[in-house]
Amino acid sequence: MNESLLDILCCPLDKHDLELEDAEYDDDDVVGGDLVCTECGEAYPIEDGIPNLLPPDMREETPA
Amino acid sequence: MGLEERRDEEPDVYQPAEDSHLLAEATCERLEGDELVLEVGTGSGYVAGRIADRTDARVIASDLNPHAVRQARGAGVETVRADLVSPFRDATFDAVAFNPPYLPTDPENEWDDWMEHALSGGEDGRAVIDPFLERVGRVLASDGVVYLLVSSLTGVDEVVEEAGEHGFSAVAVADESFPFETLTVLELLR
Repeated sequence: MNESLLDILCCPLDKHDLELEDAEYDDDDVVGGDLVCTECGEAYPIEDGIPNLLPPDMREETPA
Repeated sequence: MGLEERRDEEPDVYQPAEDSHLLAEATCERLEGDELVLEVGTGSGYVAGRIADRTDARVIASDLNPHAVRQARGAGVETVRADLVSPFRDATFDAVAFNPPYLPTDPENEWDDWMEHALSGGEDGRAVIDPFLERVGRVLASDGVVYLLVSSLTGVDEVVEEAGEHGFSAVAVADESFPFETLTVLELLR
């Protein structure tokens, strides 16, 4: 993901800002790390460069 | 590569069809400059990719399906795994495009895999459209616009009425008829 996405994204639960932690880069592309809510502390993983911003209770739902 | 071959290659991801094409073209035609655009439920990334290629807009694409977000990112689209618009900031997007799951489905016949999620709109066809209409206003900029693909199978009038409940007025900006349905792109404005 492009780091500028942080200006567009928020915590899906409480809509507060997210902070990038433990970032792994491939050139300018953020390919790993966590987006952490500055309010509730929930961490959202960046998986293969794609932030997974599903609320925690939906994260494990994999129908197939 | 033809559409049929691509369908075989990615069985878990909805591949572009007539509805995707109609939504992409209608949206491209109506964007004017460097808008910030969100495509919800991007699937293969086709619509988002077309908008990014053909306009100066920056396009962000979201999907619930992990296979879809991987395919869309592979196609060069900026991608977020998300439930509708929940992880996007208030008053952010100039336009939001959505080709929703809209087929009315008998609950007895729900087949519970990723393709079902991409196609089925529940019993009335509006199980995803209604919550989308309820939530999308939050992420739209003050003069933001929604482009929503609707099928006659889902009921265009019912969708227009539901949109009205959430403060939107609707105009049909494109349509195309097929033997079993007519597809319409609605432009929703507040």
